[in-house]
Amino acid sequence: RKTVELNGASTWDVLPVLSERESQSVVLIPAFAAPILDKKEACRLVREVSAAYPLGDHPHLKRVRPCVSAESAHPLEMILCLASPRLEQDGSQSLAALFPDGQVDPRGLGEPFLTLVPAFPPLTRPQYEEASSHWPVSFHENKRISRALSGCLFTPSEKAAMQSHMELAVQAAREGARLNMEPVGAVVVDQASGRVLAAAHDCRKGFNPLLHAAMVCIDLVACSQGGGAYGYKDYPSCTFFQPDGDSGHSSSSGDGLPYICTGYDMYLTREPCVMCAMALVHSRIGRVFYGVPSAHGALGTNYHIHRCKDLNHRFEVFRGVLEDQCRSLAHISVPGESRKDSP
Amino acid sequence: MEAEKGRAVTAGEREAWMDLAVNMAKEALESGEVPVGCLMVYNNEIIGKGKNEVNETKNATRHAEMVAIDQVMDWCRQNEKEPKEVFANTVLYVTVEPCIMCAAALRMMSILWRIIHFLTDTGEPFQCIAGYRSEEAVEMLKTFYRQENPNAPKSKVRRKECSK
Ligand SMILES: [Zn+2]
Ligand SMILES: [Zn+2]
Repeated sequence: RKTVELNGASTWDVLPVLSERESQSVVLIPAFAAPILDKKEACRLVREVSAAYPLGDHPHLKRVRPCVSAESAHPLEMILCLASPRLEQDGSQSLAALFPDGQVDPRGLGEPFLTLVPAFPPLTRPQYEEASSHWPVSFHENKRISRALSGCLFTPSEKAAMQSHMELAVQAAREGARLNMEPVGAVVVDQASGRVLAAAHDCRKGFNPLLHAAMVCIDLVACSQGGGAYGYKDYPSCTFFQPDGDSGHSSSSGDGLPYICTGYDMYLTREPCVMCAMALVHSRIGRVFYGVPSAHGALGTNYHIHRCKDLNHRFEVFRGVLEDQCRSLAHISVPGESRKDSP
Repeated sequence: MEAEKGRAVTAGEREAWMDLAVNMAKEALESGEVPVGCLMVYNNEIIGKGKNEVNETKNATRHAEMVAIDQVMDWCRQNEKEPKEVFANTVLYVTVEPCIMCAAALRMMSILWRIIHFLTDTGEPFQCIAGYRSEEAVEMLKTFYRQENPNAPKSKVRRKECSK
């Protein structure tokens, strides 16, 4: 894993926030396997056993593996079938019990034993490595995820840009804290041009308790497009910039005009809550970068809303940008108030 | 139940509020917005009325429920009431099941809700009347999605048509 060191001031990693299935550890299920005592019988055994017990629902499982220990008397082992609870209960492990109709000629096959095999195909390299330590599996590597997990998806100059965007979010959070707001900041950037379109701090302690930093920033982007629901006169650090200075942004929806947050990145000093995460789905955000996880976070900590198959928009999420500075925001003391970790 | 305490709500009153919410949804449909209407009722008084304002504000989070919550905040300011107390005793009447964002917002505000048809496993302070005038609301949503969203990028609209 590579670490960035910029301005000699801070070190941080940018890591992908994957779906629940991509981030979980390997789930194992019981299966009956048996040693292949005679290598010459292997082909026939695989054919006959596969016909009797296809692994159609678990195509990632390799039927045969070379023996684990080099001193083993037999060269190969094979999966006979997945162990249903009934088979397990019966303890019926004899070849006769497993192949009662004589579909498989047991010549060359040793005594069956119970083992554990990975239940799902591995989605990431770490999952592949863990799964393979139990039983060989096939793996269709997603190169982008692998590069992201190893911390080399982004170039140093991209990371420098991320850092400067998150610095703006941290700065906004500090300005907010000065107004007794929750110290959370957000910045929206146009992915194509790298231009900052809006910067905001959390306003939930102001005129509306739902104005979390992400909600404010989404509304500021709307303001920049000639819309918006709120005015931010009392919060000078909540600002927006016109998308592209020239041609007066008419409200007609001609081609080339921005459509809500399509193609934009949001930087958040901490992981957003369910409401904010879903607001980002509604807004068609391009990518989200957050500094630190939150106990009530709805991306990496709970729900993984950005990868939810039932929702009509999905986006990439990364965490860890300027992590230390983002974390230190939680310790800004607001006069006369004790802070708890709310989203 | 904490809300509406002191006086029982009659079926007639409930029906009248649902009528109002449905009419608001119709208004939204006529102005090209997603047809959702909702009412916030506190002490048998309507203190918030929301319809979807996504296209008008170019803010995809301006759902009827969010708009109505803002109105209740304004009402609290004008009437010098404590929002916390008001929200805890407010019932939301809404024509369709709130989305995850609005459900989370309603939960944060501790608002009770009554919805035409709503299935939930979130439990706790929410209340709903399943199936209440659901056909009408669903029909309006269908009408909306048959129309084109005037603010959607052209390519997306085209893609939608192709996939039909
Ligand atoms: Zn939030
Ligand atoms: Zn909603």
